[in-house]
Amino acid sequence: MALTPDSQAIVLLCSQVGLPVQPDPAPLTLREWNPLARKLRASALGHPGALLGLSVTDLKSALDLPEAEAERLARLLERGGALAIELERLASLGIWVLTRTDEDYPQRLRQRLKESAPAVLFGSGDRALPGQPGLAVVGSRHVDEASKSFAAFIGGACAQCGLAVYSGAARGVDAIAMGTALEARGTAVGVLADSLERAIRAPDIRSALARGDLALITPYAPNAGFSVGAAMGRNRLIYALADYALVITSDAEKGGTWAGATEALKAKWVPVFVLNSPNAPQGNHLLLQRGGLPFPDPFPDSPSTLGNWLATRASEAQPLPTQPGLF
Amino acid sequence: MRSHALSLLRHMLDPQADFRPGQWEAIDIVAARRERALVVQRTGWGKSLVYFLATKLLREQGAGPTLLISPLLSLMRNQIEMAGRIGVRAVTIHSANREEWDAAEAALAADACDVLLISPERLNNDRFLKSVLPGIAGRVGLFVVDEAHCISDWGHDFRPDYRRIVRILQNLPKGVPVLGTTATANDRVVADVQTQLGPGLTVLRGPLARASLRLQNLQLADQSERLAWLAENLPKFPGSGIIYCLTVADTQRVAKWLQSKDIRAEAYHAGDDAHLDRPALEQALLNNEIKALVATVALGMGFDKPDLGFVIHFQRPGSVVAYYQQVGRAGRAVDRAYAILLSGREDDEIQDYFIESAFPSPRTMNEILDALAQTDGLSLNEILNRVNVTRSMAEKALKLLEVDGAVGIEVAKKTTRYFRTPNPWRPDLERAERVTALRRAELAQMQAYVTHTGCLMEFLARALDDPTAAPCGQCANCKGKGFRAEVSPALVAEAVEFLKRDELILEPRKRWPANLFPELKTVIPPDMQNAPGRALCYYGDAGWGKLVRDGKYVQGHFNDDLVRAAAELIRDRWRPDPPPEWITAIPSRRHPRMVYDLAERLAAMLGLPFIPALVRTGDALEQKAMANSAMQARNVQGTLAVAAGVRPGPVLLVDDIVDSGWTLTLAGWLLRTNGSGAVYPFVLARATARKT
Repeated sequence: MALTPDSQAIVLLCSQVGLPVQPDPAPLTLREWNPLARKLRASALGHPGALLGLSVTDLKSALDLPEAEAERLARLLERGGALAIELERLASLGIWVLTRTDEDYPQRLRQRLKESAPAVLFGSGDRALPGQPGLAVVGSRHVDEASKSFAAFIGGACAQCGLAVYSGAARGVDAIAMGTALEARGTAVGVLADSLERAIRAPDIRSALARGDLALITPYAPNAGFSVGAAMGRNRLIYALADYALVITSDAEKGGTWAGATEALKAKWVPVFVLNSPNAPQGNHLLLQRGGLPFPDPFPDSPSTLGNWLATRASEAQPLPTQPGLF
Repeated sequence: MRSHALSLLRHMLDPQADFRPGQWEAIDIVAARRERALVVQRTGWGKSLVYFLATKLLREQGAGPTLLISPLLSLMRNQIEMAGRIGVRAVTIHSANREEWDAAEAALAADACDVLLISPERLNNDRFLKSVLPGIAGRVGLFVVDEAHCISDWGHDFRPDYRRIVRILQNLPKGVPVLGTTATANDRVVADVQTQLGPGLTVLRGPLARASLRLQNLQLADQSERLAWLAENLPKFPGSGIIYCLTVADTQRVAKWLQSKDIRAEAYHAGDDAHLDRPALEQALLNNEIKALVATVALGMGFDKPDLGFVIHFQRPGSVVAYYQQVGRAGRAVDRAYAILLSGREDDEIQDYFIESAFPSPRTMNEILDALAQTDGLSLNEILNRVNVTRSMAEKALKLLEVDGAVGIEVAKKTTRYFRTPNPWRPDLERAERVTALRRAELAQMQAYVTHTGCLMEFLARALDDPTAAPCGQCANCKGKGFRAEVSPALVAEAVEFLKRDELILEPRKRWPANLFPELKTVIPPDMQNAPGRALCYYGDAGWGKLVRDGKYVQGHFNDDLVRAAAELIRDRWRPDPPPEWITAIPSRRHPRMVYDLAERLAAMLGLPFIPALVRTGDALEQKAMANSAMQARNVQGTLAVAAGVRPGPVLLVDDIVDSGWTLTLAGWLLRTNGSGAVYPFVLARATARKT
């Protein structure tokens, strides 16, 4: 599917597509794009697609930009040829692109994250899956037997009651919950911090993608390598896409799970449950003190009731206000 | 801008030059308006001039370099020189000039290249995407798509990679101009290209007839007659030219025959890289140092020799459009050039084979996908180990699957691996049937052309929907005279003799397929390999081939003429050194006597002892049923053993027909490991291209 002109412009301005590893000029960060998007909306151009084909002089006068800034935009917009070639390559690998202007862009990210919703998302699998009712499952990469079996229980329960498993698709808790859900023909959405291109080649992942049971998405370049910053940065997407979140294990005051969970508790995107058991790590107890909702182990009812149980317990969570998003 | 462009043009050509109709219009669309144009003009009209000038103008406006996508692999030197006169620098990146890539990439990164020429496959190449494109920061100033008719399924030339080009152009943001060029698009193809590239495409179309070309069709059924005709008539043609054949074997055979008649001719085809210096051959033709290149269509698009004197077809091409395109290379800058179409008995059979082997079956495609789906990637050899399909058919299937997005490619440690993507794949039977039906219709039109009695140029122009089509007054039909079809009977007899002595060399196999013998290394030690062998002919060909077929399947006995011819070949022309001291043969359970009988008579004629040193230990299926080398090797594995009687001296190893060569390889290896000297394989015939 070809991109709309608006999306073409956003991908050119805000993504790494077709650029070298150390690009000069660098694509716009969200912090740079958001004010420009506001300016654009207020200008005679009106929308991002109108930027295509404009010269430095045009950009300067239409958006009242300093020379250097207009030059940078023009350079980024000039790589339409590379964009077309790279998007075709990605599509033939099974990877699609969405921008904040696309109808298929997950509504929840727009609503909950507002301006910090990624301008560009890359993904594979059914693009309607991200945003389906579901539970975000987070936890450590290093897990003991008890958390392993708990993660497996949650994955299976989600499949039974029709909730998608949202996770970071990392080793440990993520992979176990996701894998169990998929084995039971449930659905899952993985939000990757790196290497989307590589991830979709594993035979079990590929067949789940092809069946429509799994979607993998990432706000980073599909061939990006691992970085701690990226791993932290995608955590908020996991929370913001789901209806509820469940922290299975968290270190105290350190690590990605802790950072993501405390951010989510503060932002109140979704009700955050925390596994509450005597053996749970210190982080879990601290998160419960900070407003996490206790999740009992063992789960007191049959797995198929998980959905109802979460809904009832979360009913006290504040409904979230909505406002129209930005490009 | 027009006057500036005109001054550039005059700088490139000469001070009085002017635009031909359509040239400035095309430049204006892409360089000034930055829109899309499709140029349908005959070869030699000056399409390269359009994209060089457009590139120059765009570069002056600060645009990035032009990306020229073309299936032809090298811009001709004179074209690059012409571009150089207005400071347009062109660089080529393709699979055969790896040593120049670093320099090319450096030139691109330094913004010192204005036109980058790539083949369509490059667009999905890792290095191109990761290194070349980012090197120019993705700034493509102009897309030029050469041979743009390939975009359409209705084109005469089906190239899967062009489907990728269409999708790229559909993703291309506004403001990046596109120029498609072709010499051969009828109305249907133009309309289809327009639909696929969007309504913003302007079509510029010119007349296709070429006044200097003298067309003539001659029907000579047997190869021997056509060979004789060439030897008799070639010296009468002006200048140098091209003789087109349908197969590589025919290019070699025709070239060898002409050389034997003291005519300077060389074979030219896409295979056999080690022994063929294609650029040198092209140069020799350009310089008129040879009379003719005897070529497959590998000598094709983009080969530009303005004074080409003739194009002769030894066999009939599959479509009128392909024929027009091939003869269009002649007579661009001379008053008179000839295009002679010889057609013969084998043409239909070869064309049938081409049509039928154009598409892999859905079953083959699915088997390959299933094999890939169970892994995270396989090499081509690993696929052939799992799926019974010929190598070339597997390559075709993988290409189609890759373009369909069902299969991805990764090159790591110099090995290409194919992997399944999550994209769904369903066989597009309708497309395959549509293309096949189109090929049949084209073949029928070509058959009609051969016997057409009206103006031949008009026939070609009409087939391309040229609105200006009219009688040319130049072709043999218009003039009522041309070259005579009759040739001297003595020369025909000579050609028959030549065909009978046109034996083939059997190159020994040097490796076992992976995992065939887990206990052995895959490399066969040199002293366990066969020596190069000989085949008397191709199975079924016009020399001895028919006698072999008759012997094998009708008489059940190879006649004495064949045995005598074999003895002559071995004793007088081949003369293996050191000479064989004994003869043995491949045993057969199906026809136990036939080959032994052949070997015994041959032994008697050569005065050597025949010793049946090999025995069958198991039945193999007919090798014909095995589609690739790995499957064939498996099929013969364990079916042969050595009985008593192996002698230490060199041995002639006889069989009737060789297919994969694995039986001979296995037999030779058994003989060598059991103490024989050098093993010289000899067979009556080599099986020809096989159908799946």
